[in-house]
Amino acid sequence: MKRGILMIILCSIATMIPRIFPFFMPFLSRLPKFVRKCMNLLPVAALGALIFPLALTDFGSSWYAGLGGVALSFIVAYFKAPMIVSIIVALISTTLLLII
Amino acid sequence: MSNGKLAREGIQDGFPIFLGYFSTSLAFGLLCRSSGFNVLESTFISLSNFSGSGQFLMINLFNAGSLMVEIVLSVFFLNTRYMFMASSLSQRLEKPESVWGRLMCGFGTTDEIFTVASFKNRKLEYAYLAGLIFTSYSGWCSGTFIGYIAGTFLPDVIQKAAAITCYAMFASLLGGETRRNMKALLALMISGGVNSFLILIVKLGTGISFLISMLITAVLAAFIYTDEEAGV
Repeated sequence: MKRGILMIILCSIATMIPRIFPFFMPFLSRLPKFVRKCMNLLPVAALGALIFPLALTDFGSSWYAGLGGVALSFIVAYFKAPMIVSIIVALISTTLLLII
Repeated sequence: MSNGKLAREGIQDGFPIFLGYFSTSLAFGLLCRSSGFNVLESTFISLSNFSGSGQFLMINLFNAGSLMVEIVLSVFFLNTRYMFMASSLSQRLEKPESVWGRLMCGFGTTDEIFTVASFKNRKLEYAYLAGLIFTSYSGWCSGTFIGYIAGTFLPDVIQKAAAITCYAMFASLLGGETRRNMKALLALMISGGVNSFLILIVKLGTGISFLISMLITAVLAAFIYTDEEAGV
């Protein structure tokens, strides 16, 4: 499995270059204002795509179980519940929806 | 705050990620086993790559008999999205000059860690990030190991339900964000809509779809949010 180990190491490098490189590029803080604004909004922009459609398709034909869990944890968090509470709510509701 | 307190806060914030990673990497450990890797190699994959989608892609292509160069290039392109996340995170560091600190943050820039760290409304201390990254990393690596040796013992319904953990974490961040500013819902609709369209209808891979959706939404959001709201 020598070839396997080489593949793992090369993939690790391919993963770490895009992650580590930007931390060593000081000019990033001198980018134009509009670009910095876009970068500040990346986290919010990422959330929707992190949830949809995979939170539904991961559950295949039981997609409503994923949707129910995500929707409930959103609502609970909107009303100021701590994150761990909203995750427990999602775990319970998704499990129940999967059992039904 | 002292470093110990900050690290503890990081560990606390990392706990939901730990749960999500642990359950996902159980599945990864199982996949490695059925693909003919031994337990050391499988754990080494998670230790050295620390990347969900990239590792699954690597194993899938490996099983399909792809050439090594194809596998490595695909993993690279799947991971180009981290360049944008890492750039955004690198500007939030409290002490940007520390080389080891930056190496650690780069190693730990995953979707989940980036998102949780980004929603802290302050400069990020290395002690906090170390707690956050280490907690998440230990969930990812231990899950792979345990998944390899014992994954099949978990009841199917629990394994399936655990898949919701990371999504619930994102939904919870979004809930808090929406309370502060309703425009977050608009961003959600654009980003989730574009990504669903690209994955389900255009049938693009998840890595490239995510990258396109995130960038389109960030640019559109820059027109929707005022400069103060975006913190510029």
